[in-house]
This record gives sequence, C-alpha cells and structure tokens, in this order.
Amino acid sequence: MADMHSQVLVGTSGYSYTEWVDGGFYPQGTRTPEMLALYAQTFPVVELNYTWYQMVRAEAISRMIARAPKDFLFAAKLTRTLTHERDRDWKEEMVAYREGIKPLQQQLIAILIQLPPDFIWNVKNRYYLAWLLDSLHDFPVAVEFRHVSWARDSVFRELEERQVTLVTVDAPSFSKLFPCLAVVTNPSLFFVRFHGRNLQGWQSGNMQQKFDYSYSIDELQQWKESYLQPLRKEAKKGVVFFNNHVRGQAPANAKLFENLLG
Amino acid sequence: MSARDRAIIHLNVTDFAVAVERVCDSSLATVPLIVAPRHAARGIVYDMSEEAYQDGVQKGMRLSLARRRCPAAQIVDPRVALYRKAMTALVKEVSGYSPLVEQGEEDGHLFMDVTGTHRLHGPPPDIAWRLRKRVVKYLGLDPVWSLGTNKLVAKVASRIVRPFGEMIVGAGDEPAFLRPLPLTLLPGLHVQEQKIMDDFNLVTIGDLARLSRQQLLVPFQKRGGYIYDISRGRDTTPVLPGVNHGDGVCREHIFADDTEQEQDLYRILTGFVHSLGRHLRMEKKVARRVVVSIVYNDGRSGSRQVTDKQGTSNDFLLRSLAQKALARAWTRRIRVRSCMMRVDRLAPASPQRTLFSMASAQEKQQKKLLAAMDAVSERFGSNSLYLGSRL
Repeated sequence: MADMHSQVLVGTSGYSYTEWVDGGFYPQGTRTPEMLALYAQTFPVVELNYTWYQMVRAEAISRMIARAPKDFLFAAKLTRTLTHERDRDWKEEMVAYREGIKPLQQQLIAILIQLPPDFIWNVKNRYYLAWLLDSLHDFPVAVEFRHVSWARDSVFRELEERQVTLVTVDAPSFSKLFPCLAVVTNPSLFFVRFHGRNLQGWQSGNMQQKFDYSYSIDELQQWKESYLQPLRKEAKKGVVFFNNHVRGQAPANAKLFENLLG
Repeated sequence: MSARDRAIIHLNVTDFAVAVERVCDSSLATVPLIVAPRHAARGIVYDMSEEAYQDGVQKGMRLSLARRRCPAAQIVDPRVALYRKAMTALVKEVSGYSPLVEQGEEDGHLFMDVTGTHRLHGPPPDIAWRLRKRVVKYLGLDPVWSLGTNKLVAKVASRIVRPFGEMIVGAGDEPAFLRPLPLTLLPGLHVQEQKIMDDFNLVTIGDLARLSRQQLLVPFQKRGGYIYDISRGRDTTPVLPGVNHGDGVCREHIFADDTEQEQDLYRILTGFVHSLGRHLRMEKKVARRVVVSIVYNDGRSGSRQVTDKQGTSNDFLLRSLAQKALARAWTRRIRVRSCMMRVDRLAPASPQRTLFSMASAQEKQQKKLLAAMDAVSERFGSNSLYLGSRL
C-alpha cells in the first residue's frame, strides 16, 4: 500500500491550442513554438495528443523536448494506426513507434493506449491487446478502455500481472462506456483522464462539442474524495490529465484541481 | 489582434488517375496498373500504380517501354473528364471545413487553410484526420495528409510520406524539418536552378539554407531572395479558392475526335479568346501573357507562351497572340486531342486615358465593336454573337 500523500502530477491533454490564447491561459500574442515552455511554467506534465494523429518521429520529438525543462514529464498516446485504424501492418507500425518515441524515454511517464468504443472484449481483441502490451513491455504503459465489456476482474488481474496501468476515466455516463473505476493495477502509477461530462456533445461526433465542459469546484471535490483518495492509497504516483480543452477549460480545471490537492 | 501561425492542410491522393480507375473497377485494385492511350501509335504513360512504378514505369514514358518494364500491368485509357469529376467530388467532400480550398486540375492535390476554424471544427490535426476519413468513406480514395504553417512545408511533408501516411510539421519546426531533406523534394525550383545547385554540390535543403541571401543573389539573381526563403520553409502565398492557375484564367477543349486540322484549332482558340477577353473586360483587367497548350493523341503535350508588355483585353490582339503561341506549341505532325488557353500576369486596366490619344482608327473601331459585342452577350448570352472564324 502506498503513502496517503503519494505524488500527484496534474496537467492537460495537449498544450498546443491557439484558442488557449483567447481563453487567457497563454498571454496574447503567444506563437505555437513558445507554448510548451510557457505551459511548463504552470504544469509539470503533459499528455501528447498529436502522437495519436501521426506516427511519432524521433527528430520531431527531440526538437520538442528541447523546448521543455529537463524534469518535465510527458505521456504519449499510441498512434491511431495501432489502436483505432488497424488496417496497416501492425508490426511495422509498432517498430516505427518504438523508434520514434526513443528520445522521450527519460521523460516518459507512460504510453497511453486509448482503445476505441468498438474494441470490445473478445478473443481476437484480447490477443491483439496482449500483442500490443508485449511489444511495449519495456515502456511504462497505461490502457484506456472505452467499452464496458472490459470491466472485469480477469482483465484487471492480467494488467496487474503485467504492471500495466488501468486508466481511470471521468466522462458522461453511458451504459456501454467503460465506467469510472478507482482500480489500481500498477502500484507504480495511476492515470486519470477528465473528458468532461457533456452528454450531448459526446454524442455529436464534433470534437469541439464533445470536450466542451467546465468542471465545478464541487464536482472536482467530490471526485477527489470518491476516486482520488482510493487511488492514492494504492499507487506511489499518479498523473491527472484534463482533456476538456475547448476554450481553455482544461488548464483552468487543472489549476483548480491542483489547488484542491493542497 | 495577435499574429497567428497559419494552419494549412495538404491532401494528396497518390496516383490520382489510378486511384479513380480502381474505385470504378475494383478488379484493378490488385494488379499493377498503367493509365495510357492503348491505341495511340506512340502513346505515353499518363499515370501508373505504385507496383508499376516499382518496376520502373514512369509518367511520360513510352507505353511500349512501360509494357516491357512491367509486363504484368493492366493498361487502361486515360479518362481525363472522369478524373476532373472525381476532383470536383473530392473538393466538395472537404469544403465544409473551410471556404479556402485550392485545388489542382485533376491531380488529387488540394490545400486547405483552416487557420482560425478551431472553435467550429477543433484543432487542425483533428480536422485533417477527419478529412481523410470522409474521403475514404464517401469516395473510396485514400489521401495522404499533412499539416504545416504554409503550403510549401505541407507539400514537402506530403512528398515524404506518400503513398500512405500523414505528417504534422509544427510551427517553428520548418527549417529543422527541411534541413536534412534532399533538394529534389523542394517545390518551386526551375530545372536550370537545380542544375546550378548540382554544380555547386548542394545536396540537401540544409546545404542551400546555409547560404546567405547575398550569396544566393549571385547565381540566381532576382530569384535569389525567393530561394533563400523557401530553403528556410518560408512561404507566404495564400490558399486561393478554386483551381490554381496562379493569377490567370483558362479555358480548355477536348476534341470529340482527335484532329490535325489547323482550322479546328483556330476555331476553338477564337471561342476561348471571346470568353477570356470578355472575362478580362468585365474584371477590368488586362493580361500580359497568353499560354497555349495542346495534348497530342499519344499523350504528349506542347505548351508555349507569348507576352505583351502593355497587357491587353482586346479580342483581336489576344487572338493574334494565341495563334502565335499555338504555332510555336504545335510542332509535331500528330493529331491533337485537347487544347488549352490561359491568360495570366493580369494587371488592372488603366482607367486613365492617355493625354494624346495614340490609338489608330482601327483600334478605336475594334474597341467600339467589342463594347457592342459585350453588350449583346450580356443581354442575349455569351454564344449569341461571335467572330466568323469561330465557325
């Protein structure tokens, strides 16, 4: 059992949003190349979203790291060609990803495997996930399920054996969506993602509506008591990311949450 | 308002003609494919699939040689009108995300400026990803996408990842991204300039970027400044909606039957001149260059231009320039399949009259005649009145 005061690092999913200039998080006139250094003045960790959209490339990662302090940490999403659009050669894609992510290794808190809603618990998908985890066995890994069928003890046991983190997700509640659980499968790390609770937006298919939500202080306080405290008991360290990026709500909520941690 | 980094998406359906043919006939999806006129005596390759390319087939190669290099290839006739239609469908599919879409003619390329659209559509990488998803879903075409802060960088990024993939070049990363790449990937260089770079043993874009503006002015003169900028990934050209002809306007005709009759081409050119001349006069512009391009029935093409320093929108002068350009472009005794005329290097027509009128009586008469013809066209339609040489 970990210490009640295990370290919790708070950040956001992505940092390069021009609307965060309008939203007031970045000073007026901030250009994209300056954003990471400014972000790192406020938060100690960030989740890289763009690695989901395109295959990571070592030279681009190296240039990005150079803009952040040496002790700044990154979580990096696994590329969509290995999670959502598995129509290319998986093995080649995995080799490319492992190669591309290498420069980040010293500052990598975890690789985030975000699985799509149609990735349900069945034999084929279990084999595929096992292959993904085997291929990334020498990296810290966190898995986010989007389908409820994965919420079962056998899955948690397997993740525990592999020392893989199960991602705790706060999102609108749907019957088929993986529920918010304070289950720790890796005592070294827990991993939380706040997606917002915009039920209508979530169904719209429009990213701007999906993540358009601002948590109130009461909601965050309640969440902290219900979920964070049990997570902190079980794991030595944790990261919390806010993904409700629209209009700069994510950094505002992240700061609020940090304040609640004291 | 603060300066913002631009977000330019480049979509590129690799081997567009092949991709369209494969959508139309799925049995072609698994065989090497060459698009070329099969029955032309000396047909040349219009497009080929990646498999045929790997076997050594290239665009513009004689079909007989292409057949020898890739004997397993299936050959289909080019259907330019179909590719143009597919291009229109491609643009229509993506245009909901931004009004600023600049397209090629029928080559599967388009640029989209999504700067400032995040409140509506989300972050630019997400837009690019959605565009590709739409094109795959609704058209069956699988484009490469790239995202950069300008057209130049986005285009180079697409060139790197094709035939499949995506690339995001972040703002500020442009010089470092370009530095290790070979100069052959840098768009906008003339053949002569590439030769000079070769003579100077410049291999990568980084080699070029090490030279100062002053140093580049020596071998490249007026173009030195432009080359200095592109070697550093700087490109301020806007994304211009529509087909990109630079600042020009163009008209094209594909003959129902290939022709070798001079009169047929003159007739078509006269029609172009009417249409383009009227367009220029309505826009109150003059063209300082006329370009005529023809495509022979074996797939080869010829293109020549004639310039007029003063600039003109006079049909009679435009026709004379076009005929001169045609005479220079049409050098082979082979039937012609299509003909295109473009007027560009446009300038505003001066509204100010000269102090002493230098126009001859004939010019004055022509001006009056054209004004009258424009008035008739305006009232009764563009085909209601035309010169006899169009018949």
